[in-house]
Amino acid sequence: MTAPDLDLGAVAPLCVVAVGAALMPLLDVLLGRTKTFLSRPVTAAWAGTVMSLATTGVLSIALVMCFDAAGAAPRTFNRDHPMILMDGMTSFLNIVILIGSLLTALASGKFLADLAINRGEYYALLLAAVLGMMLLVASTNLMMLFVGLELMSIPIYAMAGFRRDSLRSNESALKYFLVGSFASGILLYGTALIYGATGTLSLLEIGARFDVDDPVLLIGSGLLLVGLAFKIATVPFHQWAPDVYEGAPTLVSGLMATTVKVAAFGALLRVFQMAFGPIDDLLYPALWVMAVLTMTVGNVMAIIQQNTKRMLAYSSVAHTGYLLVGILVGTQVGISAVLFYLLAYTFMTLGAFGVVAVLAHAGRERERIADLAGLANSRIFLAAVMTICMVSLAGIPGTAGFMGKFYIFRAVVEQAIATESSSLLWLAVIGVLNSAISLVYYLRVPMVMFMREPEPGPEPDRSGTFEGLVLAVCAAAVILLGIWPEDLNLILTRVDVLHWASVASASP
Amino acid sequence: MEIPVGHYQFVAAALFMIGVVGMLVRRNVIVMFMSIELMLNAANLSFVAWSRLWDSIDGQIFVFMVMVVAAAEVAVGLAIIISLIRNRDSVNIEEASLLKW
Repeated sequence: MTAPDLDLGAVAPLCVVAVGAALMPLLDVLLGRTKTFLSRPVTAAWAGTVMSLATTGVLSIALVMCFDAAGAAPRTFNRDHPMILMDGMTSFLNIVILIGSLLTALASGKFLADLAINRGEYYALLLAAVLGMMLLVASTNLMMLFVGLELMSIPIYAMAGFRRDSLRSNESALKYFLVGSFASGILLYGTALIYGATGTLSLLEIGARFDVDDPVLLIGSGLLLVGLAFKIATVPFHQWAPDVYEGAPTLVSGLMATTVKVAAFGALLRVFQMAFGPIDDLLYPALWVMAVLTMTVGNVMAIIQQNTKRMLAYSSVAHTGYLLVGILVGTQVGISAVLFYLLAYTFMTLGAFGVVAVLAHAGRERERIADLAGLANSRIFLAAVMTICMVSLAGIPGTAGFMGKFYIFRAVVEQAIATESSSLLWLAVIGVLNSAISLVYYLRVPMVMFMREPEPGPEPDRSGTFEGLVLAVCAAAVILLGIWPEDLNLILTRVDVLHWASVASASP
Repeated sequence: MEIPVGHYQFVAAALFMIGVVGMLVRRNVIVMFMSIELMLNAANLSFVAWSRLWDSIDGQIFVFMVMVVAAAEVAVGLAIIISLIRNRDSVNIEEASLLKW
């Protein structure tokens, strides 16, 4: 028996994050035991800042490594059995995930301190979840996909319930846990059926051996898709999202709405491209209906929300719908549009959740949209960031959100003209109409901030240094991606999703 | 006499359905939680039987992964349920209704 041919360099970013996750509890204990540092007393807030900076550091190292890997040729960890594939798409999604979690980690120090939940486990859980997300987008095998999915989900369940004394946080964690593990159970049984029908767990092999008339295989594929649909919160599997996002600590909600969704979408893209090619015709109508319902229900429900986090949750459901449209197109242009949209969406949603997180500081939660009244007078910076994010989420030209929607709908229309498909054209029309509906609730937020008089009461706190930095980065990225998207999009269209085929032919 | 794979698959499917129905019908959080475990174990049984049919080791390795994941899920899930019981003194999911609409 020969030793397996392993390429540790390919998974180096994952190793960095894993080591970071393992060392974080040790750092926590170490800081807890240290009474003074450089003859100054160690306070809990100071220790929290150190933990948050250490986590940011670990994530930045992994981020730099992913940038390095992005231009290189695709690599697999085990060349004989490629279960982890680091190609252009993996690297890009890893970069999006790392940027999102890095910004969250940086803002977490002051956020946790203000809520008096400044505990080190948070950062260990965060890093473990990030590792799971990176595994998930790199997996080309159903076993790795399941392990990645669970490694991502389980820490997030715990993070959602991180405010142990808050009933709302408890309830959010419980709902997320029950729905999430129910979805994992469905996905797992689907995996078992697919394995039974094809005798393999490799996505490419499944695609090659796909028998369209095998009922076991079709049921298995359906269950697998339902499991993933729960994770990305598409209608009709979205009911948990608003409840969970509302109750969880705000930054954790931001993390769930962005990086978790990015990772699950990455897995969905892989499964579609590698395994489910043969049943495209069967999936098309189901996904078409799902995309339309997701966009419409998300946008309509968002209009009637009074709570900012809940409104953002429904908005994230609506954006899942736009992303599904991009997946439905299935062309190279469509996939690169989805990738661009995921990046833009991460910045604008994180910025919006970040502002809500900063406002929670003054002792009371300012979660209702009405609580934002007069914010432009008291905290112009927060109001400006929130306005930029809302304008971008609504898809107004000059912002990242507009370019994302533009690329997706351009891909849809191009494909519709190329294949003379009227259903695709209708999809684009419904998508644009939905963008118009979304203006109602997105623009209400700036209106309340700039036009309404504030309610009497204490002024909201200023944002901390790092929080301010995070918000500024989000706002700047939203505008830069909106003004100069072409450079990035050029890189993306070169991300050759068809590299997978070459990896497949190399494996026995 | 060898028991055919179909028999195992039938039992696995029945277990899975019991789990799904339990999850949807029961209102006690701990029973719902056990229903989820039942779903995972149904998949395990299915994996082992398929693994035998295909004469491939993948399915059996997968079962170990699932067991590890299920153990981790139990740890986190019970912790969440305990913190809920501490704050609310109830395991009825109907009473967890602060967050809606």
